[in-house]
Amino acid sequence: MPSPSLTSMMGFERKLVIGVGGMAISNNQAMILTTYSLGSCLGVTIYDPVSHVGGLLHAMLPDSSINAAKAAAQPAMFVDTGIGALFRATYALRAEKNRMQICVAGGASFLDQSGVFNIGERNYACLTRLLAQNGLTIDAKDVGGLVSRTLHLHIGTGEVRLKCSGQNADTILFKGYANVG
Amino acid sequence: MQTLDNFIKQIKMLPPAPRVLGRLLVLLNDPDGHASQIVELISFDPALTAKVLQRCNSAAFGLAGSVSNLDEAVTLLGFNAIYRLVAMSISEELLGASQAGYGIGSGELWEHSVTTAVAARVIVRKVGGEENVVFTAALLHDIGKLVLGSFLEGCRQSVLSQTGSSGLSFLEAEKTVLGVDHAEIGGRVLEEWKFPENLVSAVRHHHDPAQARPHEQLAAYVHLGDLIAHCLGQAQGFDSFAVRTQSNALEILEISPKEMDSFILETDSALKECAGLIRTTA
Repeated sequence: MPSPSLTSMMGFERKLVIGVGGMAISNNQAMILTTYSLGSCLGVTIYDPVSHVGGLLHAMLPDSSINAAKAAAQPAMFVDTGIGALFRATYALRAEKNRMQICVAGGASFLDQSGVFNIGERNYACLTRLLAQNGLTIDAKDVGGLVSRTLHLHIGTGEVRLKCSGQNADTILFKGYANVG
Repeated sequence: MQTLDNFIKQIKMLPPAPRVLGRLLVLLNDPDGHASQIVELISFDPALTAKVLQRCNSAAFGLAGSVSNLDEAVTLLGFNAIYRLVAMSISEELLGASQAGYGIGSGELWEHSVTTAVAARVIVRKVGGEENVVFTAALLHDIGKLVLGSFLEGCRQSVLSQTGSSGLSFLEAEKTVLGVDHAEIGGRVLEEWKFPENLVSAVRHHHDPAQARPHEQLAAYVHLGDLIAHCLGQAQGFDSFAVRTQSNALEILEISPKEMDSFILETDSALKECAGLIRTTA
């Protein structure tokens, strides 16, 4: 168990809930970004441990070309438009791409022999392709499988927590090291 | 293994309110059906009437506070909207409780059911068919879980150990351990409540629509709606994605696989539009 942060001990922590097709960034160290209901959707957290800036994306589908108007109005709905939007938003708060800790959760798959309903897999494939194109790697992931997930990013520490359906407690997906640098 | 009698005994203990949905569906489709009969049927249950009026007056309809009785509600919103509000109110009462046997928290089964119903309606509006029937079948598709939930509590580990890693879906594991599955029991529940045969069949075969012939289309709407609800994360519990998909549901409705992404997108939008009618737990 990590020791609790000062903010959590003093009860100052605030939770911001991000819905399906939403994203949020923060540099408020008392903030926890949370998203529920990751089924085949993909949850992506990014965190710069130097500037203490983090962001969370809850993208529903891989490819924005199915609805360009929706993608323009709500880029976080799609992985291909959401990832760029998430990174760009953090740069305004002085985050830097090459320092980002990247975590991914979601992309669950059915027992689908036909491969027709493989939305989770397509979401993850789209993400890894985009990250590779930008020379980025994933630090921790819990992707695929038969569970729905809840994902939390603690802005104060960069710690990423996860809860899978059918489980009672969170687990640590990525132990932050906010004090680096 | 339980005997079928034990399950049937449990079915008879479920509250009787949903029976009214079957009767309303018949009235709605009857060209000689009269408005007063529909209002009378709903009015028979004062608690239900109050809940329907409360939903009519929610922000979702922009009529805030102005609807005071069912006649007025029907005039302003039409029968189809009122029917769906009745169905939402009844199902919330019925499906709202937590189901420890399935690892489902309070309100989660109902939210999954509403998401399934909204998704199935998105598809039927594109493909064409009886919207109220599709909506109702999708809303009640997991009703068998109310019956099996308590039986599963005692043998959860046995069901879970057979799910997923050994290649069985949760439904198949239920059948192996309990001798029945929630789809089959759900069909029996609707039979007990004297629902029309097409709804009974669609609920019974929502995990394998081709078996529902001649009602395979209705079952296919429910199957695809169910999958969309899972994709949107509205499927908590142990069985979450341990669901076997049937791609022939697409063929039955002549839908191309590519359209599924658009249906998921539209379902999300439709859910946001009616968010005021759905209690949110998150």
